[in-house]
Amino acid sequence: MSQLVAQDLNLQIDQNLILDRINLSVTAGQVLGILGPNGAGKTSLLKMLSGQTDSQSQVTWKQRPLNQYSSSELAKQIAVVNQMHDSVFALNLYQIVQMGLLPHKTLLSRHTSEDDKAISLAIDRVGLSAKSQQTFSSLSGGEQQRGLIARALVQQASLIILDEPVNHLDVYYQHQILTLLAGLAHQFDITVVMSLHDLNLAAEYCDQICLLNQGRVESMGAPIDVLKAPDLERVFGMPCKVSEIHSQDTRYHHSPLQVSFYPPFRPKPPKANA
Amino acid sequence: MLHINQSQKWLLLLGLGIASFCIALFFGAADLSPTALYQCLFSTCEQPVNQLIFWEVRAPRVFVGFLVGAGLAVAGATLQNVTRNGLADPYLFGVVSGAGLGASISTLLFDSPFAQTISWMPDISFSLALPFSAFLGALFSVVLVQILVAKTFGSRTEHMLLAGVAVSFMLSAAANLILFLGEPFAATKVIFWLMGSLARVEVWYAWVMLPVVLISVGLLLLFGPQMDALLLGDESAKTLGVRVTHLRIMSLAICAALTACIVSYCGGIGFVGLMIPHIVRNWLGVTSRVVIIGSVLLGGSFMVIVDVVARVAIPEQEIPIGIITSAIGSLFFLLAMKHKSR
Repeated sequence: MSQLVAQDLNLQIDQNLILDRINLSVTAGQVLGILGPNGAGKTSLLKMLSGQTDSQSQVTWKQRPLNQYSSSELAKQIAVVNQMHDSVFALNLYQIVQMGLLPHKTLLSRHTSEDDKAISLAIDRVGLSAKSQQTFSSLSGGEQQRGLIARALVQQASLIILDEPVNHLDVYYQHQILTLLAGLAHQFDITVVMSLHDLNLAAEYCDQICLLNQGRVESMGAPIDVLKAPDLERVFGMPCKVSEIHSQDTRYHHSPLQVSFYPPFRPKPPKANA
Repeated sequence: MLHINQSQKWLLLLGLGIASFCIALFFGAADLSPTALYQCLFSTCEQPVNQLIFWEVRAPRVFVGFLVGAGLAVAGATLQNVTRNGLADPYLFGVVSGAGLGASISTLLFDSPFAQTISWMPDISFSLALPFSAFLGALFSVVLVQILVAKTFGSRTEHMLLAGVAVSFMLSAAANLILFLGEPFAATKVIFWLMGSLARVEVWYAWVMLPVVLISVGLLLLFGPQMDALLLGDESAKTLGVRVTHLRIMSLAICAALTACIVSYCGGIGFVGLMIPHIVRNWLGVTSRVVIIGSVLLGGSFMVIVDVVARVAIPEQEIPIGIITSAIGSLFFLLAMKHKSR
């Protein structure tokens, strides 16, 4: 049964229609990838789905509109990893991850040894155990991103919403983080919704893909149904080829699809030295 | 360099607090011997005059001095956390300018030839009217900043700081105009008051300030983890279930009450709210609870020691305490900048 449902979702800012009649639904334990070019409305859609913008009666989570949840109830259900995070003062990674416990604590709650274990486990799962006492601002962009994912893990939410979670990561950690997220979804029935730029990663790790273009849903479904060359060419404005990969090599988990773009423009060749 | 762990640092800070109390109780215009002091503290003073000096003058002054330093430092620390700006302090939010305006108006109404001509004005002594008007002025400035931020600028923290600076200058201008037009003798009084001093402290004032400081610190400690969440931005805090606007308004109201209560009686004491949290963050840690408790201990001790300097630096005279804190504060910041740029 669908857990997260959006019906006729609209967003207008100063005469500009950012989101136009968006309909989508995700079942528990699935990974939904939101794809689309810059300015398609991905971040706005994620903000509405996570209840960060006010009065979301059109979005329901577990059959209940988001605006009927109190802020702390919502924080227990939905963890959000946003793109921008500026940390003032020298908080360390451990303290940032510890913030994930906030929805589960009252004003008078004490910090327990179980809390410590949960925080350490989460930091370990994103591979940052050695850096838990380092200041957050001294970590690289990718490490900060992983730290915030650890915070989402500590939050124990059943829906995790991430805005371009692998943006700053190198290839190794892109796969590590997406494997972690897909694993959480499939093993623990956690729903994961994230925006991605890399179509091949989306094809590999998402159960469902929602292709956005100019605030509208262009198509939605399994990667193989959504990632079609004509649609992608129209949305991204570039010639594109999608090939299905039938590999017998079972040593590696691999993408079933390979998307390649052929940009119509080329950089000028370097000037020959006289 | 000597390395000490976190609990040793806390012990050191606590020791500093106790030491500052002991030192401050020794110094004053009247010469009290250590034996006389010991007697006064733990039984009854040998001479009745010592009893009066110790319990009515010296002890309240040291106690209030501690509360003033603690309160200003905690207000500064809280403002810095909720605005995510290490330079925020009660001065920046116009609290002191508001208090100055209130003080100036009170000179016009209670201590000038003009005041004699108003028949309906109650016969209140100027020394009572001055702190009370300053309190109202300080609250007025905070409310004005909040209204400006809510109605005009939106709730972004940089707008809040800009609104604070604008209100601060506006109220200063109004206060200066009143002083310029008013009676010169009263103007001198207000200017002296604005320099800050603990010389007028009386016992009852400790009993007013103690609950204000205790309740404010207690509430801020309760909301410490929520204020920490604000450090990563409003959006991030909201996704953790923090009601950001409520939290910010509550913290600002607490800071306003705390500062207004202190400034109204002791005048403008600058840089404590800016300098102390800065030192605590660098030395003890950055989470709100640590910064608040550290600021109470260090701010309190600092103010008690500065007050001793104010009393003994020039024989038979007292330097206004605000002059010393500002001098130390500005030097401190120059040194801190030099240290950071290395």
